[in-house]
Amino acid sequence: MSAISIQNLTKVFPIPFRRERIVAVRNLSLEVEPGQVYGLLGPNGSGKSTTMKIVLGLVSPSAGSTRIFGRDSKEVESREEVGFLPENPYFYKFLTGEEALHFYGKICGLHGAKLRERTGELLNLVGLKHARDRRLAGYSKGMLQRIGLAQALIQQPRLLVLDEPTAGVDPAGSREIRDLILDFKKQGITVLLCSHLLSQVQEICDRIGILHKGVLVREGRLDELISIENQTEIILEGASPEVLARIHAMLSESGARVLAERKPQTTLERFFLEVTSSSKKN
Amino acid sequence: MPASPPPTPAIEPTPASRHVFFSPARIWAIATNTLLELFRLKVFYFLLIFALVLIGSSAFMIEFNFQEQFQLLKDVSLGAMSIFTWLLSVLATAMLLPKDIEDRTLYTILAKPVPRFEYLIGKLLGVLLLLLISTLVMSALFVIALWGREQMVIADTIRTSTGTPPAQLEEVLRGIRSSTFTFSLIPGIAIIYVKAALFASLTLFISTFASSTIFTIMVSMACYFIGHLQGIARDYWLGSATTGPLPRIFLALVALVFPDLQLFNLVDDIVAGNSIPMVLFAKTAALGGLYTCIYLLVAYFAFASKEL
Repeated sequence: MSAISIQNLTKVFPIPFRRERIVAVRNLSLEVEPGQVYGLLGPNGSGKSTTMKIVLGLVSPSAGSTRIFGRDSKEVESREEVGFLPENPYFYKFLTGEEALHFYGKICGLHGAKLRERTGELLNLVGLKHARDRRLAGYSKGMLQRIGLAQALIQQPRLLVLDEPTAGVDPAGSREIRDLILDFKKQGITVLLCSHLLSQVQEICDRIGILHKGVLVREGRLDELISIENQTEIILEGASPEVLARIHAMLSESGARVLAERKPQTTLERFFLEVTSSSKKN
Repeated sequence: MPASPPPTPAIEPTPASRHVFFSPARIWAIATNTLLELFRLKVFYFLLIFALVLIGSSAFMIEFNFQEQFQLLKDVSLGAMSIFTWLLSVLATAMLLPKDIEDRTLYTILAKPVPRFEYLIGKLLGVLLLLLISTLVMSALFVIALWGREQMVIADTIRTSTGTPPAQLEEVLRGIRSSTFTFSLIPGIAIIYVKAALFASLTLFISTFASSTIFTIMVSMACYFIGHLQGIARDYWLGSATTGPLPRIFLALVALVFPDLQLFNLVDDIVAGNSIPMVLFAKTAALGGLYTCIYLLVAYFAFASKEL
């Protein structure tokens, strides 16, 4: 059984007082298997958010259907299995971090010692134990994102829907959220991720779908979609100039062409994290 | 965030059948959260204004006799209580739904296994709790003010009655005590609450299709004024004086959609010293409850199909 099954989904928004209509999603079909991290990509207005909202039952489809672990998304029961983190979440600013998790736990049917235990676990998991008694109005963007992740996990869902989970978060926070998502994957949680940070999507997603103007234009395993079939990358360590000269000779004899030869570079993100973490130590 | 994150708790699959269609616990969680929200928004500060109104009204009482003093205090207090509970019901309810939508908090709640009708009931219940607490606090302030005034009048009477036979003085004092708080005021206060509850429900309904808090408040206030004219519209609709089809449709619409708020003005009679029959009180309270339920039901139908 698929974690998410979308079949021939179409969503049309009528424009009030006009005869025009906006087709946000057109005949979309895709499957997300349990345990996968699926990246839904696309430019602004491509239909990603509408698709997510339909999966979550917040918007009803004009045609087609969506199912979560076999249950129709229109059924409230299907949301037992889902945790959702919206883009730029605000939550109730008058609540403290702990109160917010208690509230979301209660509406998911948790109470008493079990709720307190689960809240403690999640505050620990997202690194907000020190801020548990602080009101959300005083939380930074990154802290809000992390409390959002904690509320999404409160009822131990099997599926997480994350809309731009690292939007506005600094590189260190972004890396930590990425690591958390990889942890969820290890635990067998399915993740549907919408993000504009393509490098991050590339790092964590098993499979991606690209939406453009409401149409799924490409879909498949990430490594298959982005690999260049007729090229091979070899990264050497400790190779002497003589060894390199012999390799070049062999290559020219075989007829293969060297397209690029350079020192591998670290990523800007890794460089930034190294610099900021070493300055913290000093 | 700590440098080395602690081991993550194991995620077990949730049992597929644990969802309950109607959960009072979920509704209560939303209601208490709504009450906490309104409490932390410091909406109770308006009670200070109510207290100031009571103190301010005392300044005008010096030149009246004791019956007039108590009459004025009851008039001012119950009138202020009626206006404050109505304003509170409209202002507190109007911001709840639009704010949740604007802040996207609503997404995080409805993305959980929470049916939309439970969300609406929870929100309304939160406002009703707020109104109940406010009404009780205002009633307590009113009783304290009335008692304080009674003590002052009694002290004045005793001071100025030297030489009056004790039996005659006792008679005067009994007259003063019977003019202050009487249990006949309680149904009047209860109807003030019922009217505010009706308006909370009506405002919640308006907020399900309104585009902003301001629009919700404006429409709700317009309904308040139309509601006070509903009786006239109903009489014209049912009478034979209006014959044109369009005016009749308009009058029928006003008569059917809006509550007759004049029916809820029992306080004036009570303050004037007339006791209200229990049957009338029960009928008025039941009518208010019925309107509250109808508006909540209509709010649900509007909200159930709302695209978020």
